[in-house]
Amino acid sequence: MNPIVSTKRFSWPALIVVVALAAIAPLLVSDFFLNSILTKALWLGIAAASLIFLAAYAGMVSLGQVGIYGIAGMAYANLVLADGGAGAAWNPYLALIGALVIATVVGLGFGWIAARSEGIYFLMITLAFSVLVYYFFSQVTGLSGFGGINSVDLPGVVGSPETDPVPRYFLTLVVAVLVFLGLGALSRTAFGLGMQGVRDEPARMRALGFDVTRHRTLAFGVAAFVAGVAGVLSVFYNTRITPGSINLAQTIDVLIVAVIGGLYRLEGAWVGALTYALIDNYSREWVPEVGNVLGPARFNTLIGVLFLIIVLASPGGLIGIWDSLMAKVRTPRRAPAPKPVPQTIE
Amino acid sequence: MATPATAAEPAILRLSGIDRRFGGVHAVRGVDLEVRPGERRAVLGPNGAGKTTVFNLISGEFPPSSGRVELFGHDVTNLPARKRARMGLSRTFQTSRLFAGLSVEDNLFLGALGVGAGHLRMVPSSKDGRLREQARAMASQVGLDSRLDDLVMDLSHGEQRQLEVGMALVAEPKLLMLDEPAAGLSRAERVKLTEMLLGLDESITLILIEHDMDVALRVAQWVTMMHDGAVIVEGTPEEIRGNQTVHDLYLGSGLISHE
Repeated sequence: MNPIVSTKRFSWPALIVVVALAAIAPLLVSDFFLNSILTKALWLGIAAASLIFLAAYAGMVSLGQVGIYGIAGMAYANLVLADGGAGAAWNPYLALIGALVIATVVGLGFGWIAARSEGIYFLMITLAFSVLVYYFFSQVTGLSGFGGINSVDLPGVVGSPETDPVPRYFLTLVVAVLVFLGLGALSRTAFGLGMQGVRDEPARMRALGFDVTRHRTLAFGVAAFVAGVAGVLSVFYNTRITPGSINLAQTIDVLIVAVIGGLYRLEGAWVGALTYALIDNYSREWVPEVGNVLGPARFNTLIGVLFLIIVLASPGGLIGIWDSLMAKVRTPRRAPAPKPVPQTIE
Repeated sequence: MATPATAAEPAILRLSGIDRRFGGVHAVRGVDLEVRPGERRAVLGPNGAGKTTVFNLISGEFPPSSGRVELFGHDVTNLPARKRARMGLSRTFQTSRLFAGLSVEDNLFLGALGVGAGHLRMVPSSKDGRLREQARAMASQVGLDSRLDDLVMDLSHGEQRQLEVGMALVAEPKLLMLDEPAAGLSRAERVKLTEMLLGLDESITLILIEHDMDVALRVAQWVTMMHDGAVIVEGTPEEIRGNQTVHDLYLGSGLISHE
């Protein structure tokens, strides 16, 4: 069963501070950091947010998000001018819309099937979906080129990232903030509250007159749209897409990002993604050589150990650790509350 | 056998020859039941008598193995729970099934939304305001107006039971089914519950499963006694108090009190 979660509402001041810092980041950090750490963390965070959104609000832990984002990325790369793939040479903005529509429609269709299962079965069917998407694009080279689609045409708003990564960074930042605020607002609507009802007590939802399967399907569709956004942004980031970038390892990586950040709060997506990007890049410099156990090339070992520590110490991820620290700061140690007088039940 | 006072009106609920098996367990055997509009009916019986299974068959949690369920004059035997709810049937659960991660107000909001339109509405709307008003009014009716913004997981057992009843009532049902609403309540809380049930709008039909005879026999005008999956006797509370079979079933349990 899913643990009981309450999806706390974020604080506006904290968000404003973080966004303000992010907005002046191009002045403070190198182009390399802006690109390889911050931009990457922002789009990877959106992918993780689609997973966390489903887990936190609908109680559905999905491994299908990378499958969806792969479809969106591949669709975009095929629809624009590129080296490999279908090369439909559409206008990039039109292709962007097309890719999101395709990802959302596939998400709704697949969600309609997967919504009938729960828990571990849901996890397995979504994992199967991601693997299916990977093999599809690995084998249908007409849609994925030989070893990927390269030199993908980007929309004008991205500029030319090789010389100036700032426009792409700001685009990704704006989209990430919109995704964060949009999903938060959605959770307060009739649909969003219903989704949380489905998470907590599906039987009660049915008894109240709700169509639980339809709610789950639509929740998956919303998450698919968000995963699609991440997929297209990942193509903007890499200017290419290969089947290898949407394989099982990437599926696991997005789950790891979500768990490290915290599965029960949307903010966790970006906290996890930033942590992941930092370790990915800098572990190669920081990590000393210790026999053949630890070394600069042992990124997976490091991230695995961190993953284990977090799963064991704080199921709520880094955000969960932060929350419990803040709770301790806010409520100083005090005498235990007086015991309530036991009521006699005759 | 006596008939309820309102026997002239068509039944709001009719079970005919209902059977339900779970593997080798024959939980409900050939139950016939007729409930008329505005009636207050208690379903009594020892643990394992099949009372909650009958509730689940009426609300559509699962279908009967054989037999027919009619609600408001329609055959609903094969209709899912959500469609029966939207026809005007509301129920509570023996163990509270509330949305633990949501506030009291949000729980009641969903209760009011369920029977209406706009389940999938993804934008704020003025309809939300009306539903919230309905939710807040229900919260004060069940004595939870001071806990509107508290999460359900932070409520006491008694408060959760109050909310459980509120969740069923907020949908403004025609037929209300309460499964042991007084379970685990203190004496004071039970008195409050009884008063609330006695004060229910007369148009609401009530079916009540309850082990607490004080609550059940005060609220009900008509009692169905179940044992071992079957209905063994029906009658007014007075008839039930005086019935020998009922005494034998509850012998030694001291549940039937003589005033």
